[in-house]
Amino acid sequence: MADFNVNTREVGSVRVIELKGYLDAHTAPELENTFNSLINDANFKVVVNFNSLKYISSAGLGVFMAYVETMRENSGDIKFTNMNKDVYNIFDLLGFPMLYEFFEDEDLAIQKFNNSL
Amino acid sequence: MLAKDNSTAIGNLSALVDFSNLINSSLDLEFALNNILLTCFGKFHTTKGLIALTDNSGYVSASASKGISKEVIDSFPKLNEDNLKNESVELNEFMSKNNLEIKRIIETSSGILGIIILGKRFTKQPYSDEDLDFLKTITNIGSTAIENSLAVDKLRKVNRDLDAKVNQLSSLFDLSKEFSGILSKERITKLLTYSIIGQLLVTKYAIIYCDDHNYDILESKFDEEKLTSLFQKNNCATISEPLFGDNLNNNYSGLTETGVEIVVPMLIKGKTKGLILVGRRRNLQPFTKSDIEFVSSVGGLAIISIENASLFEETLEKQRLEKDLEIARNIQRNLLPDKIPNLNYAEIAAYNQSARQVGGDYYDVIKLDDKRTVVAIADVSGKGVQAALLMANLQAFLRAISKQNIDISEASNLINDLVSENTMGGSFITFFWGILDEDKKSFKYVNAGHNPPLHISQGKMAKLKTGGMIFGVMETLIPYKSETVSLSSGDSIILFTDGITEAMDVTKTEYSDERLEELVLTKCKNSAQEIINSVVDDVKLHTKGANQSDDITSLVIKIK
Repeated sequence: MADFNVNTREVGSVRVIELKGYLDAHTAPELENTFNSLINDANFKVVVNFNSLKYISSAGLGVFMAYVETMRENSGDIKFTNMNKDVYNIFDLLGFPMLYEFFEDEDLAIQKFNNSL
Repeated sequence: MLAKDNSTAIGNLSALVDFSNLINSSLDLEFALNNILLTCFGKFHTTKGLIALTDNSGYVSASASKGISKEVIDSFPKLNEDNLKNESVELNEFMSKNNLEIKRIIETSSGILGIIILGKRFTKQPYSDEDLDFLKTITNIGSTAIENSLAVDKLRKVNRDLDAKVNQLSSLFDLSKEFSGILSKERITKLLTYSIIGQLLVTKYAIIYCDDHNYDILESKFDEEKLTSLFQKNNCATISEPLFGDNLNNNYSGLTETGVEIVVPMLIKGKTKGLILVGRRRNLQPFTKSDIEFVSSVGGLAIISIENASLFEETLEKQRLEKDLEIARNIQRNLLPDKIPNLNYAEIAAYNQSARQVGGDYYDVIKLDDKRTVVAIADVSGKGVQAALLMANLQAFLRAISKQNIDISEASNLINDLVSENTMGGSFITFFWGILDEDKKSFKYVNAGHNPPLHISQGKMAKLKTGGMIFGVMETLIPYKSETVSLSSGDSIILFTDGITEAMDVTKTEYSDERLEELVLTKCKNSAQEIINSVVDDVKLHTKGANQSDDITSLVIKIK
């Protein structure tokens, strides 16, 4: 079976989603569920930590596109951190850096959220 | 003088070696251009300069500059390579207006790369021949570095395009694997949209399925009402090629007004089965040919999966129906009597053949006591389990009521009330029943809308029609009438369902009442079993080669 895992952590008012393994058309629904439950609980400040993510496909990228507007409409955001070069390359190829903030480290993204308070 | 010349020459030479080392150490274009300008600034003591390179379109544009304002750069004239080679009036005007004094074409053996333009010297002294020679040397060394960096830039771009293509292909591969495993239209649509919005960076989209007559907006982030009104006017199935830009605007201005930028049809064997509508890209970049190809490809994959999913659903539905029919057939079979009771005064033969699509024929022979026997035949409307259950109800009512010793017309009223209460959705039963009475040598019957049985006595035929309305339409308002016919030895009564008289041959001609009546008249001297065999054989002869569309049931009573 596809090796993919989503884990959500609380850091103050920010929720950190940790992704592990392969995020593709097959595993995208899991991430979708995670975002749905975050929105249900009115958590709109999201940091996605890609540290252990090995691969992302366009269906995976689509999930971020699908939820970013809701987050921003509720004065939150989706910020990306700890991406390896290959994964970043895919984001970069498709022009994501123009629309999303990318950080070297999770803490920097969390700080950015806290500073904007 | 000579010594000074020498030291200048050596100074120049070592500066050139440094420059050459430095500029060739990097393949970064900006770095190379910057260093050419800075080296010139250092050598000539000037504070202004720009390098313009020819771009893909063949025109020259400013690629690096120092000490020159943006407004001035923007006013740089539009020049091509020929303008550079020949003295261009515009360029000279531009230079004199902005205090730029010298220019030199940057070229390699393969052609002109661009031009370097420098401002007046800080010392106000004009450029000497020596200076011009130095500039020539610098541009010669620099041109190779520029060419290399340009080539690397180009390679990087090619590489990036390739990466993008590889990424698209791997997305497609990923999806094709995934799509083939999903059999839900909703799930396929969801994945399709994720792939498109992820790949194209859009948030506005719609997925529409359609055929020649119908359309179904499965997902839409556009104004759905507007789309609906648009597609009511325009048949989506006529869009068989991707539409965008002017082509879209001219033909479907309503779509562009709602924010749609690309319309891509989803095709199966060249027929449009759906549309993907895509809105503006979030990073405002224009869509490329490759983007449209991507949408087209995922759309193609998705629509095939959707088609498969609906075929699968149809098959499931068919299997469910088959199962349903089989259950119904079993119920029906179990409702018919296993054995016809032997009577002293009459011989009874029965025949029932179910059509593949189960109908609702039913017959029964119930011995009330040694002298009296109930004979019944019915045709329950509808097919499948519903008809079978109604038939089971009827059997239960009939058997219960037969034991009650109620008059047959009163009993018919009761059965109709019970059936009416228990049916819904327009089910009904045509029903005929009668009681054979040995002592009275009679047959008392009620016909509730059933094909009239034929009573043949001494070569004469009568139809047993007395009764009332078919069962199950409404509760009994007008009581059922009964009739009693006397029986003598040798009489036959032939009961049958419309499956016999309406049995069709290959030309759709019905077997007909007349043919049945004629046949039984000639066979009335035979035994009950022989009569029924003749009827069945004749019907089979008639329907040879055609499908049996309805149940065939017949019951023959022969008075001993």
